[in-house]
Amino acid sequence: MRPVVVGIVTALVLCAVIYLGSRRLHDFDSALAPYAIASVFLAFGIAYRYTVWISSPGARRLFRKGWGAALSWQNLRRTPTALPRMIATYLGFQKFLGARSRSRWAAHQLIFWGCLLAAAITFPLTWGWFTFTANTGAGPQYTMNIWGFGVADFNALSVLGWLLFHGLDLAAVLVIAGATYFLIRRMRDREASTGQRFGYDLVPLLALIIISVTGLLLTFSSVALHGGGYEFLAVLHMAAVVLTLLYLPFGKFFHIAQRPAAVGMQLFKYTGHGEIRHCRNCGEPIDTTAYVDNLRATMRDLKLDFDAVAEVCPRCKRLRRGQAYRTTVKPGF
Amino acid sequence: MMGRTIVIDPGRCIGCQACVSACRECDSHRGKSMIHLDYLDQGGSVASSPTVCMHCEDPVAPCAQVCPAEAILVTPDGVVHDADKSRCIGCGNCVNACPMGVPKIDLAAKLQFKCNLCYDRTSYGLAPMCATVCPTGSIFYGTLEELRTERPGVEVASTFDFDGSIISTGVAMVVPRGRPVDEPLPGGAGEHAHVTGSPQPAGHLEPSADNVLGEPL
Repeated sequence: MRPVVVGIVTALVLCAVIYLGSRRLHDFDSALAPYAIASVFLAFGIAYRYTVWISSPGARRLFRKGWGAALSWQNLRRTPTALPRMIATYLGFQKFLGARSRSRWAAHQLIFWGCLLAAAITFPLTWGWFTFTANTGAGPQYTMNIWGFGVADFNALSVLGWLLFHGLDLAAVLVIAGATYFLIRRMRDREASTGQRFGYDLVPLLALIIISVTGLLLTFSSVALHGGGYEFLAVLHMAAVVLTLLYLPFGKFFHIAQRPAAVGMQLFKYTGHGEIRHCRNCGEPIDTTAYVDNLRATMRDLKLDFDAVAEVCPRCKRLRRGQAYRTTVKPGF
Repeated sequence: MMGRTIVIDPGRCIGCQACVSACRECDSHRGKSMIHLDYLDQGGSVASSPTVCMHCEDPVAPCAQVCPAEAILVTPDGVVHDADKSRCIGCGNCVNACPMGVPKIDLAAKLQFKCNLCYDRTSYGLAPMCATVCPTGSIFYGTLEELRTERPGVEVASTFDFDGSIISTGVAMVVPRGRPVDEPLPGGAGEHAHVTGSPQPAGHLEPSADNVLGEPL
């Protein structure tokens, strides 16, 4: 019940900010209404799924510890740059992906920045937060408005103007390049194809490519075909985007919402007490004391009563089990 | 235990590392070995023991249960998979909660990796790499009936006792004939386990926070 309530409240808050941000729907573009409505359902889905996720013991404890570390005044004074640095290197430039594979890192960066650019343009536009008004009837001077306030004047025929009006095309090119790489990898590389599922692993890539290609075709239609087929393409593009937004909280894309937990986890480890728990058997370091205690509490929440094993290093666990087998089960093999 | 599974007999292991090398060749995790081979009594005897993921059935996959990112999938056939690359945040919960000492973690890549019963092979009816190359049959893959055809009268056990908590697993171990098969095998680690102060592995690292936390992000 709680996830449903959280989802509904989030969706209502988004409706309210759309209403206020579009100056009581004065700037709302009704042609883009399906996108705005889909984003409201997306807000419900994300909030619902997120609440379900953090209700499991492991995630709930880490969620609290992570936010505790992020909002701790003591940590902020001691390491003021830790949080912004982690957000930049981990969530932005995804340094850890480079350690997995450089080409995968490059392809993921293309998709990431492409999607971020597209989201930064699309959502405010469909919510009626961004508007562009021509200063004169014939142009080419335009004013960009946010929430009805003029923020920048630009010439539509300048480079800046071209970039502003073709931002989504640029995003589509980035996304197509990255998603195509991953699609080919999923078809050829057995590391990727082992255990892959169509709905979980391939649909997200196909969705990104379909959205990007239909988006580019809209520009192609207006530039080269004098608008030929534009209405059909617009409906096709809209259907692809809306279905993807509705799918987002329940498939692979949910990692977008989950991934920031890694920053909380790392902050909790780094800015914890700085004490290391060592293996009870051999003295090798296991993890920070706070983290091991948190894990043991998680295991007890889950009725995994053998939580004391968290204080023995993996190698000693194997050695102790092997030695016990050799002593009591098959003596002296 | 699973119908078609791995059965381990440490008594047959000669410590040749063929399983470790073969595991590295697997397509789904090229260059990294997921199997552990431990020498149980270094300097004293040649006893060694291979460890694959035991694919815990009850309680089902403690590693997956403690995972805060829902990254470890357990398929209906009972196979506990390695972490989903898009979800794993490299926290190490699975590494430390696993009573068997199976998962490893790549701190730079923020990624867990562990034995997945060579899913790319077993899902097509082939034996896992380790069982294919083991020269002594210490790692056997098949059904209990197939094992008994090769080794008449052999008994196996697939329950372990950790501090009184019983864990039943999908992977089994050979036990001597005559030993009650429902008697759990000793887990060895836990609150009440005897501390041996076993020797460090060769070239071990000095205890330091960097060994478990990795580089800052």
